[in-house]
Amino acid sequence: MDQAVVPVVATRSRDEIESAILAFTDDDLLRLRKVSWFYASRHTIEAEDLLQEAIARALDGSRKCPVNVGVVKFLAEAMRSIAHGESEKLENRVVTRSLDSDTDEEGEVLDPPDPSPSIEEAMINEEGAAILHDRILSLFEEGTPARDMVQGMMDDWSADELREVLGLDKTAYASMRRLIRRRLNKEYPEGWSHDRE
Amino acid sequence: MTENKKSKQQALDRLADALVDDILDASPEEILAEFEEDNGGAERHVAEMRALVEKSVAMANKRRLTAAKAGVASSRASSKKAATPIDINEARRLMNTLTPAQKLTLAARKESEQSDDDLLSMIEDLRDLGVLPIDDDSDGKG
Repeated sequence: MDQAVVPVVATRSRDEIESAILAFTDDDLLRLRKVSWFYASRHTIEAEDLLQEAIARALDGSRKCPVNVGVVKFLAEAMRSIAHGESEKLENRVVTRSLDSDTDEEGEVLDPPDPSPSIEEAMINEEGAAILHDRILSLFEEGTPARDMVQGMMDDWSADELREVLGLDKTAYASMRRLIRRRLNKEYPEGWSHDRE
Repeated sequence: MTENKKSKQQALDRLADALVDDILDASPEEILAEFEEDNGGAERHVAEMRALVEKSVAMANKRRLTAAKAGVASSRASSKKAATPIDINEARRLMNTLTPAQKLTLAARKESEQSDDDLLSMIEDLRDLGVLPIDDDSDGKG
């Protein structure tokens, strides 16, 4: 029987990652700031903490950076993964406690910890996402290619599918994506928040 | 169209991923110009970010050094523990401090008459089990 061959992907050493981080150009740093705002605002973590955690994981080896992936892209992906992990922790948070914790040393019955904050937080997140989702779509007039493209991106359509459906060549497609990014950046310059007036 | 709140969250995540891809693919000139236009103070943000990444690297290095020190300390403690000699008279004194249940357990483990070697081995076992403390200052004399 044929054995499946698992390709060995070479990864960057710790020193290579550290050197690359310390040599970031101005635009690298601004890209990372934008990305950290994006992912932090969508999840329950501060942007600076998110970037610090991504760097820590890159340097302690808990995340491996393939040599064919740029360090900026690698850190962006790490931030995405960490932010998603934080959200999942919130969604899956289960309040566990010993039955003994319901009484104090004298055997008096204590109020049990209220598990509702995590449920409330999750509901607020879901409610906020629903508001933000509709607000973002409303920035683009219904029936326009830009609106259809935003909806398609939200629905996980590939670039090829979007180009075909919207009848755009590569240049027109790239221009449309840029227009969308610019409009969203102007509306939400420091990441997305449903609280924004 | 997405139907419920959960799928709207996922839709936003997908849009965010697509826009992050665009940010990563944009040219340096585009990024600098767009940042200045949308947020202003690009130079200040660059300076803040540079300080942040330098601090993050320094913290990661400190963490690694602390972990390395802890590893060395742990390794030293293990080798010291292994090398700590036990005097036979001290071993007998320690055995006398054991409860009958502890003695019975040890006897069952050895399943034979207790020689000096058995006794010393039992004391090592008790130290490994945490029943007896490791005497770091012992010179092996009772």
